[in-house]
Amino acid sequence: MIKIFSQVLAALTLGFLASNAWANGDIQVKDAWMPTAPPGVKVMAAYLEIKNTGKQQQVLTGVTSPAFGKIEIHRSVIQGNVARMDHQKELAIPANASVLLQQGGLHLMLMDVKKPLASGDQVPMTFIFGNGEKIAATAIVRSGKMEGMEERGAMDHSGHGGHKH
Amino acid sequence: MNKQRGALNRKSLAILLIVAVAIAVAAAAFIGARPGKEPAVKPPEEIEDYLFWEAKKLTDFKLIGGGNKTLGPDDLKGKWSFIFFGYINCPDVCPLTMGVLGKTFNLIEKDPAAYQEIQGIFISVDPKRDTPELVKEYASYFSSKITGVTGELAQLEAFSRQMSALYTIHPKEAQASGDDYQVTHNSTVFLVDPQGRLYGRFPPPQLPQEIAGVFLKIRTFYNERVKK
Repeated sequence: MIKIFSQVLAALTLGFLASNAWANGDIQVKDAWMPTAPPGVKVMAAYLEIKNTGKQQQVLTGVTSPAFGKIEIHRSVIQGNVARMDHQKELAIPANASVLLQQGGLHLMLMDVKKPLASGDQVPMTFIFGNGEKIAATAIVRSGKMEGMEERGAMDHSGHGGHKH
Repeated sequence: MNKQRGALNRKSLAILLIVAVAIAVAAAAFIGARPGKEPAVKPPEEIEDYLFWEAKKLTDFKLIGGGNKTLGPDDLKGKWSFIFFGYINCPDVCPLTMGVLGKTFNLIEKDPAAYQEIQGIFISVDPKRDTPELVKEYASYFSSKITGVTGELAQLEAFSRQMSALYTIHPKEAQASGDDYQVTHNSTVFLVDPQGRLYGRFPPPQLPQEIAGVFLKIRTFYNERVKK
């Protein structure tokens, strides 16, 4: 019962988020969000989906936002229980494919936050692609603590095929 | 003749039985054995993978929290401690794990006796950037039950070695010159028992339901074993 409830909730959440998409030509930026950071913390992360509906590969080369001093593309890699971050100079989105930036994996590392961000805040971001295209999108700030943890946890679970237990 | 053979058979049967019993006893002792002074009790299968083969006493360390309060071996006594090594300039894996830990504690709260016995300890292995005050704020954001500490480099290194949770800072030169460096760290959540011994571990990727459920089983097993 609880499982069904949380699945419905997750579906509703996804349905709601699906309306948050920004496109330019064949490229679409979807469901951008960032968890709140504890007080005094200057670095944050953003998660989203980039969809390429075209016949050619697209390459994300940079992201800017007036809310942050610097934004980089990073990938968290956990190997033998040891976590590290790999800086990616750019991110390729193959033709007719989606790339998901999600917790515990690919993410945008947001540095030097200009002012503290609270749950519900909307943060403008510009995504710059190798072909010169730019997409202006808005990321929603959500609590980095508990809310939505169940849904996100469930998604993380399916995302990590190698989960042992 | 028949009678003799019958007696012989009975005798060899008895010997066989004794040998069989001896083998069974030896096998049971072998399977149930865990090195150390613990009574030989095999943990239930569903928690076995999460436990260390031998509980290891954590000794002689001094970490520093908010208000320059120190944290040492005595602060582990009488509590189940969930320990996580990380650093604040880690925007993805660290807040994710801390969020999981906060949520885990909320789930354990449904068992008031167990909830009273737990504490979380976040250890920043980046003392150059993470002050004790900042680390304290960071940790308590995820749960009022999580204490944040850091420490001198030598202390952090010695303690992480005891925990087998080694970390590296790279590039090394950057730590001396500027702020643009990263820390590679173990993202396991370690479990220390109320005697201050490294007892179990929850490797990534962690889920709150998993940690809470397994922990309650570990605690039950531990309590039954200690009471014996």
